[in-house]
Amino acid sequence: MAEIRLQELAHAYAPGAPHALKPLDMTWRDGGTYALLGPSGCGKSTMFNIVSGLLHPSEGRVLFDGQDVTRLGTGQRNIAQVFQVPVIYRSMTVGQNLGFPLACRGVPAPRIRRRVEAIAERLGLAPLLKRPANALTADQKQLVSLGRGLVREDVAAILLDEPLTVIDPQQKFELRRILKEINAEFRVTMVLVTHDQTEAMTFAEEVIVMNHGEVVQAGRPRDLFERPATTHVGHFIGSPAMNFLPALAVAGRAVVPGTGLSLSLPDGLPADGLMLGFRPEHARFSGASGAMRGRVARLWFEGLDEIVALSHPAGEVRLRAPAGQGLAPGDTAAFTLRDTALRLYRNGRLVA
Amino acid sequence: MLVLRDLSLTEGGVPHLAGVSVEAEPGRMTTLLGRTGAGKTTLLRAVAGLVQPQSGQISLAGADWSRLPPWRRPVAMVTQQFINYPHLSVLDNVAFPLIRRGEPREAAREAAAAMLGRVGLAQMTGRRPAALSGGQQQRVAIARALVKRAPVLLLDEPFVNLDYKLREGLREELAELLQSQSGTVALYATTDPREALQMGDCTVLIAEGRVLQAGPPCAVFGAPATLAAARVVNDPPINLLAAEITQSGLVLDHLGPQSAGATGRALPPGRYTLGLRAEDIRSGGPLPARVALTEVSGSETVTHLVAGALPLVMLERAVTDHRLGSELGLMLDLGKALVFGADGALIPKGASHG
Amino acid sequence: MRTLYLALKYLAVTLWSGFVIFPFLWMLTTSFKTANGVTGGATWLPWLQYQPSLGGWQSLFGGAGGVNIVKPYLNSLVVTLSGSAIALILGTLAAYGLSRFSFRAGPIRNGDITFFFISQRIMPPIVLAIPFFLMLRWLGLLDSLPGLILIYVALLMPIAVWVMVDFFNTIPRGLDEMAWMDGCPPVTTFLRVILPNVMPGLVVAGMFCLIFGWNDFFFAFTLTFTKTQLLPVSIVALNSSVTPWWALSAAAIVSVAPLAVLAFVVERFLSRGGLAGTVR
Repeated sequence: MAEIRLQELAHAYAPGAPHALKPLDMTWRDGGTYALLGPSGCGKSTMFNIVSGLLHPSEGRVLFDGQDVTRLGTGQRNIAQVFQVPVIYRSMTVGQNLGFPLACRGVPAPRIRRRVEAIAERLGLAPLLKRPANALTADQKQLVSLGRGLVREDVAAILLDEPLTVIDPQQKFELRRILKEINAEFRVTMVLVTHDQTEAMTFAEEVIVMNHGEVVQAGRPRDLFERPATTHVGHFIGSPAMNFLPALAVAGRAVVPGTGLSLSLPDGLPADGLMLGFRPEHARFSGASGAMRGRVARLWFEGLDEIVALSHPAGEVRLRAPAGQGLAPGDTAAFTLRDTALRLYRNGRLVA
Repeated sequence: MLVLRDLSLTEGGVPHLAGVSVEAEPGRMTTLLGRTGAGKTTLLRAVAGLVQPQSGQISLAGADWSRLPPWRRPVAMVTQQFINYPHLSVLDNVAFPLIRRGEPREAAREAAAAMLGRVGLAQMTGRRPAALSGGQQQRVAIARALVKRAPVLLLDEPFVNLDYKLREGLREELAELLQSQSGTVALYATTDPREALQMGDCTVLIAEGRVLQAGPPCAVFGAPATLAAARVVNDPPINLLAAEITQSGLVLDHLGPQSAGATGRALPPGRYTLGLRAEDIRSGGPLPARVALTEVSGSETVTHLVAGALPLVMLERAVTDHRLGSELGLMLDLGKALVFGADGALIPKGASHG
Repeated sequence: MRTLYLALKYLAVTLWSGFVIFPFLWMLTTSFKTANGVTGGATWLPWLQYQPSLGGWQSLFGGAGGVNIVKPYLNSLVVTLSGSAIALILGTLAAYGLSRFSFRAGPIRNGDITFFFISQRIMPPIVLAIPFFLMLRWLGLLDSLPGLILIYVALLMPIAVWVMVDFFNTIPRGLDEMAWMDGCPPVTTFLRVILPNVMPGLVVAGMFCLIFGWNDFFFAFTLTFTKTQLLPVSIVALNSSVTPWWALSAAAIVSVAPLAVLAFVVERFLSRGGLAGTVR
């Protein structure tokens, strides 16, 4: 249980090479849940490896509870890691796997047994303790990986690198629930690395969105969804992505031509590169007239919802609505937005 | 039209396919939806000729394929693992099937270059596949599958190993590319119900080697024929409530008697199962339940709860964060529930007797 | 600090190179010596420490007390090259079969069959001497090139199978299937799609076959007499009551030369990373 602080941290794989991780400063509170979210190559794995000790950063420091651990190896940092592929010792039983970190540290056997039993009970692995670790299903193996990290009473943080990738969709909910319960009960800091925005948003109290080695935005999932700091975040989070339409400055307001979408311009803001954005979920169909009217280009049925692509001279927008709107391609449709749904962006950055 | 009739395949005592019959029309995307191990991959491989079913028939436009080896079947396949020829450049990869077919080298390479341009890889024609990213490799595989304009196109969860956002983009690209090939029968296998419903003109539900139901997405979703079908096609999972209708009304097994006329239908006494979708459960009602997990996905919240001993899933179109372990009162909108008889079959609305 | 490290590194490499090259250097100088030069103590520099003479080299071509090794040399080349080529072809085909198809005869599976191949190399050659002798005599192929080639194929094929099975196993079956669906019947698939991807394996297997074939003395000795002679045997024939070091050295150099050329050729391929994955 430790507070992790990243101080002016940056990394370039070779001197003079472009930064794989651009300079950043971040604090992760003790017992919190965090997610590093971004597409492949965004730097999240680099950050993961630096925090876990597998990589030494070329600049900056990593502090655990105020102590500089930058030069320490993984073993000395008391970090537990769960990887995409379950890492288990195949020749040992589940019980031996769980007890291994303690056995390596010379803890007396009775204490190991008690601790292993407690953790196994917690994770639902108690009936499997005597089984060879090889014979488990993928989700059970991941639980063993997780358990191995929890047996050490002084574990500073648990780092998870896309741990649910190999899990069947049906079991993912079980594992997610256990992760959340562990976090609540043991109050151990958990950091999840993923490219799946749903996973990140459901797991973490704070999501850190990264792109091209840079932290683009960090905040609560709800804030990321409602107020994306850049058009990239708006695009990356949410399915379908956020809609952005180019806007012109007219009489102190940013307006999308041909629609009723407008937002007042803050004073002194130059009028170039303006875009208005809104989320597909915030639109409501309003019959023949509304803030924006267009022709239905395509419809996608998703069961409970429908996604409607509306084309308009200003651009194509996607809207999400409950199924059964009764629209067909070629129809004309209009929608209105919730009051606070519009956001103003300039050159890709959120302004209002 | 591609007709699969009564295909059965058992391997090592395990039936992978048990009497599967599917009809897929050209110019339409037929999605095969089922969990891992349901038999979708086996089915696609049987169509390709890579495995031989023990019984059943596969025919395209009336011509029986059962005797044809894979190299004589006019199929193209894109698999989960990006498979490209490592020893050939990207351009030669895509030109390969055309050259094999006997087309002159120059014409084949031109067609390949054109197709690569359409998938956005015009810059990469000289590279080897190993030098490309995952998404790009899969695009090469798709280009190669499409360039030969095979009458049957098989796609086995092609985007499952790719980044989330990339998946969305490629799905659309694929749909656009297929629009220009109107004679092609496309079969797309997936485990994601939303993807299946979204992409398919016709959705086929598969479980344990059997076809549960086939039809247009809204029909399959709106009226799943059996409990098994309802389980497969719903994401978030559908709540299945065992119930009994007695003289005095509806009694839910774990939750007790309900108000008269709760289902809004007249049903004879007996055992039933009510299928209640996650969005038809709301908070702010009389039924006590404890929160097991809250999942926020931007604009919706999916909450897993336990009411007594019964697990329930609730979908709210709002961002609410219910604390783990907190108590909520639920309202079940039973009027919207699907009713399944004791045999597991759907009792359609408007039927007066079970 | 870095320069010290570099200096030590180069020193170590130089010492080791010297250690390795020394025998060849010795052979080279000895081959130009006469009897006096050899027995009169260690001498290195020609014209300064000893008089170079071509006696050693001449005896290789039937000169004084020597044996004409030209014909045996060519015989060795023919037998090794053809034996290796045939062994490589048959071995590669067998390896492909073992990699792609499942064979079963009771409890015996693919892995057992592969082991059966490899186990042929475990036996000491002498165990095979008499059976091979009898088999060739029965076929009437004793003391002939075709007979020897046949035996070499039997001896070298296990090596080819052993190396190639691993290589074929690293090629995913999906590639075969993709080629089938692109219209390639199995033979075309093998030749055009699979083989180009196991080139490094073919090079390694071929290299091993050539080396083992060229170096074989035992079977060349037991299965040939007068009509066909191979190089190793004819070098032994150079021996007499006084060991002709100079002739033997010259013969040794001439025997090693083809393998040295092979090593140079393959090394370039190696250093390009073409053989990545062969080290096990």
